[in-house]
Amino acid sequence: MKTISKLLLAISFAISVTTSAFAVTAVSWGGAYTESQKLGYGDPTAKALGIEINWVDYSGGLSEIKAQKEAGAITWDIIDVFAMDTINGCDEGLFVEFDFDKDFPPAPDGTPASKDFFTAMPSKCAVGNILYSWNYAYNTNNVKGTPKTIKDFFNTEKFPGKRAIYKGALTNLEIALAADGIKPGKGGAKIYKALETEKGVNRAMDKIKALCTDPNGGCVFWSAGAQPPELLVSGEVVMATGWNGRFFGAEVGEGAPIKQVWDGQGLDYEYFVQVKGGPNDANGKAKKALAMMTSTEMLAGSAKYIAYAPWRKSSIAIMEAGEPWYKDGKTNMVPQMPTAPQNTKNYFLVDPVFWADNGTELGEKWEAMKAGL
Amino acid sequence: MSSETNKILTTDGIPLEVSLKRSERKNKIKAFLLVAPLLLFLIITYIFPIGSMLTRSIDDKMVTEMLPKTYKAMETWDGKELPSEEVFEAFYFDFRNLVEEKREGKLSTQLNYTKNGFKSIIKKLRRKSKSFEEGNYKEQIMAVHKRWADVEYWQAIKRRAPAYTTQKYLKGMDMYKNESGEIVSVDEDRRIHRVLWLRTLEIAFFVTLFCFLMAYPIAHLLATLPMKYSNLLMICVLLPFWTSLLVRTASWMILLQQQGMVNDFFVWIGLVGDDNRPEMMFNKTGSYVAMTQILLPFMVLPLYSVMKTISPSLMRAGKSLGGTPLVAFWKVYFPLTIPGIGAGCLLVFILAIGYYITPALVGGASGTLISNQIAFHMKSTLDWSFASAMGLMLLTGVLAIYWVYNKIVGVDNIKLG
Repeated sequence: MKTISKLLLAISFAISVTTSAFAVTAVSWGGAYTESQKLGYGDPTAKALGIEINWVDYSGGLSEIKAQKEAGAITWDIIDVFAMDTINGCDEGLFVEFDFDKDFPPAPDGTPASKDFFTAMPSKCAVGNILYSWNYAYNTNNVKGTPKTIKDFFNTEKFPGKRAIYKGALTNLEIALAADGIKPGKGGAKIYKALETEKGVNRAMDKIKALCTDPNGGCVFWSAGAQPPELLVSGEVVMATGWNGRFFGAEVGEGAPIKQVWDGQGLDYEYFVQVKGGPNDANGKAKKALAMMTSTEMLAGSAKYIAYAPWRKSSIAIMEAGEPWYKDGKTNMVPQMPTAPQNTKNYFLVDPVFWADNGTELGEKWEAMKAGL
Repeated sequence: MSSETNKILTTDGIPLEVSLKRSERKNKIKAFLLVAPLLLFLIITYIFPIGSMLTRSIDDKMVTEMLPKTYKAMETWDGKELPSEEVFEAFYFDFRNLVEEKREGKLSTQLNYTKNGFKSIIKKLRRKSKSFEEGNYKEQIMAVHKRWADVEYWQAIKRRAPAYTTQKYLKGMDMYKNESGEIVSVDEDRRIHRVLWLRTLEIAFFVTLFCFLMAYPIAHLLATLPMKYSNLLMICVLLPFWTSLLVRTASWMILLQQQGMVNDFFVWIGLVGDDNRPEMMFNKTGSYVAMTQILLPFMVLPLYSVMKTISPSLMRAGKSLGGTPLVAFWKVYFPLTIPGIGAGCLLVFILAIGYYITPALVGGASGTLISNQIAFHMKSTLDWSFASAMGLMLLTGVLAIYWVYNKIVGVDNIKLG
């Protein structure tokens, strides 16, 4: 049974392998994000190394690469993944483990790569790409006054109206506790400590439940990144959590009347992983391309097109020197970065290990809570 | 006279019977060869995946093979209190082998499916176990993390001992087999699958009902109008059918949200107050409206194809025999359309039961259906055996409905067009 299934999957994948078998295949989320990667560092790397890089879209998760591996016909080389997926994929043996400082170039001033990144990697298979933020924004036309803190997001008395929050438990539990008075501590350590206990989880769930059942409040759950700015602009909600790059796109790119609040933001990351046994694994091309794409200068390039922070600290200096860095030629990008000092006065780092550990059970509790709304 | 002379022979001397059988067999083989590609296709794309799903959902050999010594040592453990030093020692030696083979990550993933919290403590154990001293493994392992000293985690390990298991199916019903072999429900605040099954059935049922109520008059109109009007109407039915699913879903969001066009119109004509706009989106209403519209053509088309074949003279005959229009419709016309109703309802119901993008986008808090949960385990947790188990449960449900339908109406009475 197993051999036949492998054979079948192999056939189906063999058909999907196109003429570009020799190019390095990089897989990412598509849309403006992939665009920023392709223009920011993909094309320059391809040009510098003489390696063709093909960008392919996917919708996240590891199911496709796992199926490719089971079929024995891997067609992807580099994948842009969530933190949790680097851990799960590394555990499953899907990805190449890195020798970090050997595989990745140091910063221009000689700082080794492992010291140049904002935090340590969640697994041996990950190399940082961008940092993005789960912050919140409000519609300036529909909100009287200026929300400033994460507590204001939950304050329906002062700021009545519906809120849009993410459909899953991820980051919602964290902001609920931050708004309920738990100081995040360094990188959010105190929040996650509280969430380790049943009491903490219930406290967070109750806070969300209170917001959603409040006649002055109410919740809309979003699932796609494009939804939060859309819901804000249409007036369906007065405040929405979302990804800062999307808010930036609506605010600066399209001039929508929305404003971001950084208090209590959750810093999250995107990583690159290299697929073990990918078409360009043995010949070293994939690793070479990946090392170049995640170098100081290259990472800074993507921030020209989207408001996500390059993972390397040294990239910020390049952006500062080049301001206004945004592609429109008049917007300063450094203050828009989730990592900018004025934006990180009160924040937490989304903890991939916590979510890899507890994601399923918390997810079930979350859905059960939602079902009772 | 011998019987041989009685046999009719063909011109080349072979008995006719044999010759006939031979040529029939030839025809049968030819016919089989003609359908062989289709049969092969069905086996490859249908029978085979279902078979592999079934094995995947009950096969639990992986963990059994990873921890052979542990399970041997656990045989004498009653599962009530923390296991003895013997079990800890066996676990340590199994674990050391796994670390050498770099397979401890897979173990952590598998155990994490049974009980959350294993991922990090196994990683921690890998780091710490390098400096373990010989002997007294119980204490050393328990010192790594407080969860290793929690009996629940050892019970979870024991639950994975059998090579074949029905645990995934039980989990799909919010139940599990505990260490003494009883089937019990999970904690109340984690019971989600039963709610989702019921919600999925409920939404599928009502969507089918609404589709039927709306499609019946439309199909009737289509079947009875003169050709030039009915063609135009047909295009109106089919046009949305050719539009992308996401576009249609998004249009409903624009129309029905609280600040949407429909609500704006209600406010403008004074039906509702500006601060009292009804919520028609991001709740069940949204799901019903969007799904009914999207699935409507699947009901209209079979109904239309059946109604087209019903001669108008039958209704006239019914009326001339003394029936009122209503009686004539109910006694004559309606029974004739049952094959179409059966086909349409089955089609819509089966499609609705597996729907997930639309309810996820427009359904709000109650938007998650069982298929969303399957997708979550396929893509996110990579627990494919659980996803397979739930997929098969869904399939069994559909087959059960088909069986009931067959008993009540009869499958011969389906007409798809």
